[in-house]
Amino acid sequence: MKFGRRAFLQIAAGAVGGSLLSPLPWQLAGDSARWSQNWSWRPSPERGEITKVPSICTMCEGGCGIQARLVNGNRAILVEGNPANPVTEGGICPLGAAGLQFLYAPYRISRPLKQTKGRGNISGFQPITWDEALAELGKKLAIVRGESKAHTVACITSGRQSSMDDLWQQLFSAYGSQNLFKMPTQADGLRSSALLTTGIASPYTFALENATHVLSFGSNLLEGAAAPGRAFAALRQWRQNGNVKLVQVESRCSLTASKADQWLAVEPGAEAAIALSIAHVMIAGNTYDADFVKNNVFGFEDWTDSTGKRRQGFKTLVSSPTYSPEEIAKKAKVDAAAIRALAKDFAAQKNAIAVWNLGHSDLAFNTYDELAFVALNVLKGNIKTGGLVNLTADIPLGALPAVEKDALAENAAQQKRLDLTRDKTAPVPQNGLYGFLDSLAHGSKYPIEVLMVHEANPAYSLMESRLFQAALDKIKMLVSFSSFMDETACLADLVLPNHTALERLDDVKGIPAASFSYYAVSSPILKPLGDTKNTGDAVLALAGKIGGTVASSVPWKTYEEFLKFRVKGLAETQKGAVADKAGIRLTSAEPVKPNFKDGDDLWKKLKAGACWYDAPAEMPSFKTASGKLELACQAIPVAAAADDHMFLPHLFTIKLAGGEQDFPLLLVAHSTGYLTSGYLANPPFMNKLIPDWTLKGNEEFVDVNPQTAQSLGLSQGQSASLRTTQGEATVRVNVTSAARPGVVFLPKGLGHKAYDEYIQNKGTNANSLMEVLLDPVSGMGTVWATRAQLRRV
Amino acid sequence: MDKALIPEGLKRCPLPIFALWVLILVGVVGWGVVAGGAVLLKALNLTGLNDYFGFGAYITADLAIIALGAGAFFSGFLYYGLSRFIPALKELGKIINLAVIVGFVCYTGALAVLLLEIGQPLRGWFGYWHANVHSMLTEVIFCISCYAIVLVIEYVPIVLENRKLNEVKGLRVFGHSLHDVMAIFALTGTFLSFFHQGSLGGVAGVLFARPFAYRTGLFIWPWTFFLFILSAIASGPAFTAIICRMLEKVSNKKLVDRSVYDLIGKIEGILLGGYMVLKIADTAYWAFVLSPRFGLSLFDYYWGPYGIWLLIAEIGICGVLPAVILLSPRGRSSNFLLFGAFLLDIIGVSINRFVMTIQAIAAPVMPFDKWQIYVPTMYEVAPIVAMLAYCVLIISLSYRYLPLFPREKELNRA
Amino acid sequence: MSEKGHAQSGVRFGMVIDLDKCSGCGACSVACQAENNISFRPDESEKLRSITWMEIYQLTNGKDYPDFRQAFLPRPCMHCDSPHHSPCTFVCPVNATTRDENNGIVTHIYPRCIGCRYCMVACPYHARDFNWWDPSWPKPMESMLSPEVSTRMRGVVEKCTFCHHRMLKARSKAYVDGSDPNKATYTTACADACPTKAITFGNLQDEKSEVAKLSKDPRAFRILAKLQTEPKVYYLSKQDWIKKLSDNALK
Repeated sequence: MKFGRRAFLQIAAGAVGGSLLSPLPWQLAGDSARWSQNWSWRPSPERGEITKVPSICTMCEGGCGIQARLVNGNRAILVEGNPANPVTEGGICPLGAAGLQFLYAPYRISRPLKQTKGRGNISGFQPITWDEALAELGKKLAIVRGESKAHTVACITSGRQSSMDDLWQQLFSAYGSQNLFKMPTQADGLRSSALLTTGIASPYTFALENATHVLSFGSNLLEGAAAPGRAFAALRQWRQNGNVKLVQVESRCSLTASKADQWLAVEPGAEAAIALSIAHVMIAGNTYDADFVKNNVFGFEDWTDSTGKRRQGFKTLVSSPTYSPEEIAKKAKVDAAAIRALAKDFAAQKNAIAVWNLGHSDLAFNTYDELAFVALNVLKGNIKTGGLVNLTADIPLGALPAVEKDALAENAAQQKRLDLTRDKTAPVPQNGLYGFLDSLAHGSKYPIEVLMVHEANPAYSLMESRLFQAALDKIKMLVSFSSFMDETACLADLVLPNHTALERLDDVKGIPAASFSYYAVSSPILKPLGDTKNTGDAVLALAGKIGGTVASSVPWKTYEEFLKFRVKGLAETQKGAVADKAGIRLTSAEPVKPNFKDGDDLWKKLKAGACWYDAPAEMPSFKTASGKLELACQAIPVAAAADDHMFLPHLFTIKLAGGEQDFPLLLVAHSTGYLTSGYLANPPFMNKLIPDWTLKGNEEFVDVNPQTAQSLGLSQGQSASLRTTQGEATVRVNVTSAARPGVVFLPKGLGHKAYDEYIQNKGTNANSLMEVLLDPVSGMGTVWATRAQLRRV
Repeated sequence: MDKALIPEGLKRCPLPIFALWVLILVGVVGWGVVAGGAVLLKALNLTGLNDYFGFGAYITADLAIIALGAGAFFSGFLYYGLSRFIPALKELGKIINLAVIVGFVCYTGALAVLLLEIGQPLRGWFGYWHANVHSMLTEVIFCISCYAIVLVIEYVPIVLENRKLNEVKGLRVFGHSLHDVMAIFALTGTFLSFFHQGSLGGVAGVLFARPFAYRTGLFIWPWTFFLFILSAIASGPAFTAIICRMLEKVSNKKLVDRSVYDLIGKIEGILLGGYMVLKIADTAYWAFVLSPRFGLSLFDYYWGPYGIWLLIAEIGICGVLPAVILLSPRGRSSNFLLFGAFLLDIIGVSINRFVMTIQAIAAPVMPFDKWQIYVPTMYEVAPIVAMLAYCVLIISLSYRYLPLFPREKELNRA
Repeated sequence: MSEKGHAQSGVRFGMVIDLDKCSGCGACSVACQAENNISFRPDESEKLRSITWMEIYQLTNGKDYPDFRQAFLPRPCMHCDSPHHSPCTFVCPVNATTRDENNGIVTHIYPRCIGCRYCMVACPYHARDFNWWDPSWPKPMESMLSPEVSTRMRGVVEKCTFCHHRMLKARSKAYVDGSDPNKATYTTACADACPTKAITFGNLQDEKSEVAKLSKDPRAFRILAKLQTEPKVYYLSKQDWIKKLSDNALK
């Protein structure tokens, strides 16, 4: 046997054994193992020294302390909370944590653009230099002004409170136009109700931190409050102490309602009715602060107006059976006993506060609603120095020099703000943005030559979107200062891109509705990535181009110089102190001892991410006709008041368009914690938070109660056509018991037409379906619901 | 050339018909290869898998096909091992070649699909290089790949029996040498096979945080370990028998004696009967003792398409029923009942493999979880169908060109 | 070895999440994504394929309006401390996922992972996500990737690591400072970010630590405690309906 079984086996075994003993196979295997672990085309981030840069977030109004982590000082990799910030103590909201996705957003505008084709044609944008851009706009502004048409230049700026407001105001005063508007915020309502009741146009503040019983009227504290940082800090504190009761009055089982200790489910728009009924019970039971009311309040009892006419007071009005829990219960579709219990609870608690307008249900209330909430705080004796409710104190920043007005400015200033030129104007006008757009859309007294838009995206985020569209048709030139190619920038004729929030020097003037004073400087975390310009600097440059008294009214060379000037003024007052550590009780009534030397010292500290704060201010003396806190608001002219109750908080609903026959349902647009609906588009990181019952693929869901869904023949996930008096959209149905029967809830923040594939064309823009109603007292836009129908498709 | 390759004295269908048949099969295989290639190239997002269904059609098909391929090792074990003690088992020699081929195609096919299943196929061999000895999957990787090699070794001598190849002297000697040691390989294979069939059961049974799959057991082996072995040997030979029967039907010839089917029926009847007793005991213990410990009841495990019908089908219709048929001589004597029982048997075991992989993870565990439904895509279906087509292709080629059935000439002399 | 079945080092990192404080805002989840270079895609609505280490689950009490209530439950990896092995580490064929018995952290070695997804199947908490696609970032966003955490490749599994890299950093710092690295503590990105301070992180075996104290709070519970996975993530709630959703036996 030459090659038999034995030989075969021997050779085979020898070969296997021999090679296993040699290092070769092992070496080869090890090498292949390493090779197969490679995946060379995945990104390998550059390494380097990691440093932390503190700053202040300016992506919303909250003004939270943040710190950014940088690699080699030039690449930002993380935004986190600043533990030294006394408000947030290191916490951060999802939008702040995703902040870098705006800095590194693919849809950023990295240099000035000029539209060379038709409006809205993206391919028509041609890059131009800053010199060209500023020269073009400066020339236009100078020409318009030279033609004595300064009043035809308008601006819409962010709702955020910053020194930019003052710079714009200074510019517009010197230029000669009154058409300067801020985007609507919840502060508007707090300001207008404060103006009516105290005579001072400073928004009411709420000392949430000192309350033990918080009665919230539709405030979505937990799903994107105006200042989420502070709202979350308050929740933390309430739960930590365990002795604070949160009561939510709302139509939807929002997260705030779920997390509240008690939730009173009411009809949309019936929140104020509940407040008035609580007042009824408190007055009937004599459980209100009678001393406070007697000494400080006008219009509680019956009163005589300036013409000598005897008028009904709040007590008489609210004591009528119309406001009894039994009657109101019918209207709000709640249990009368529940209202009585709520009133009893509210009256019994020493530190009980009624709050509203703290969430993004921002425009939900009309003037009389707001006055009803004020009335509850009046009955509790809250509105006083050291009380739970106060007025926003001015930050004593360096005052801007008096505006020099030349003849052109004087003349143009004779022209009223556009919203006030209409036949029927509001008696106590406030934020007139919607009125302004409404005038333009429906034939205005004069045209608008130039509209500048700063840190805002009105084309998307204003309610009743078609109003802005219609107004835009009447505007000759639209200039956007946006950092991003948002819906408004897409429509612009000229784009002068601002640095993004993390690249620019900016400041924060107060935290909305906070009782303490707060000021912070937001310093850039790194050098701007593109050829962008701080809009503050752009405004200064434009003033220079216009020249004359306009230029001399803003004597600062750079925006930094301007801010330094303001901080210097603040330092000179020697008020307040720098807070650079956690644990400071900001709402303490104790006077604060200054801990900074001079302007330079304070500037240095603020630039390093610390904030300036001051204890809640004293309640200023009321500037009302009576000199008291007015429940009967004499600011409302007698001529405008058809009836006694027109001066008083009372049941008042602005009628919605459309009949119940055609539109049997109510649509309410609401904010959620996982969708940002303001100037910034939802970042990709936050897209992961959107539940699949809010967005699936490109389809958005509306929340519908099971009972309503059944009666409409709709089931979970089904497509439906949502038609309102304002527009129509195809949506899918999320059947949930969080929704009130008969009401359809649509989340805000989706339906973008601009930006990139991460957010574009997903869902429906709720704003486009909503109806804006102008308040008869303040002229402001209110949006509490819109009549709607939902049909299977 | 084709004629020269066909074993001497055997009749095969005309070449054009066979060529057309092969062409169809190659087409199907090609479809699967393209789909599989796309999965390798564009990653697993092409499948219906997701983070909820980490395992899906690929694994289910693999588990089923490997269980059914168990005919190879178990027939080998009976023929090469036990027949020394039970001479009646010598009958199995008449079908042993087919059993080996069925095993070979099942295992190699399964390995190919397994390559698609893992996210990083290039690292597939890390099971050896970074082995975690605690993992049932490590055992599976070891045993399946080793056993596939064994099956290749077992298949090679059968291939070398081909008329033309046999003419080459070196190959002939090599083939004969392999033949002589075949018993050793068969028994090695048996050992490996017992182990990995068990490990495949262990894969599900050790998931102690998945109440649907988790089972207590003996030492480190959960009961599913033993149940999988038992169910594999209770269905593998039945699968071989069915394939043999299909070959007979397609070729219109008698390939093995009826007695071989009867013997397989008897063996499978005993094994399936035993398996059913244990499976029912296991199910009862799981449903009424183990699950309540986790706060779950039997009805928490069944919902929507994953209804209790699966349990009834698996244990009743495709378990107890075929076992009863196969255990009764009258049942075995009827071709309809015998092969019907074989079919139910293999369906039952396939359902078991499906239930232990897909339903085991479809059932929610966290109380606020929701049931999910898994729907495979074409990218999963195509490679699986192609794998089956590959099995048919190899069996077809082997049948045509290799002397698989020692009794074929005699049985078809008329 | 102890009755726990594995070596005990005196360090067991764990987490307590106070659901009464949690507002469901998702800051933890976003901070985690930024910290750990988690990839994202244009469509993130396919939740079963979305990579989210800190996933926010919605809980509902199942009642009708107006008795309906909801809450959100952030779910990181539980870093199960079950005897000998976590459910996932027990089954990984290639030792890609293991539990560091010095601190109880369950880690995952991406370059070793073969993508068999057995660990995902083993995990009842759905804490593990698979890379169904080649991760990619829109051009400028690659700039915000952290060099401290490696990016993943397609075909591998990933999950919460309790910010393991932060622990290594804390240990190095302790070593440099001359203190005992084994006593080094740190916090995770999610705990840092939480604006209501609902997340507490630390050494469960350090009696004096906040996390150890909270884990023994009467409000404390764990999810699926009956499976004996011994999760090292505890939840706090005084709401009965939330507690009842922690275990099937309580349903």
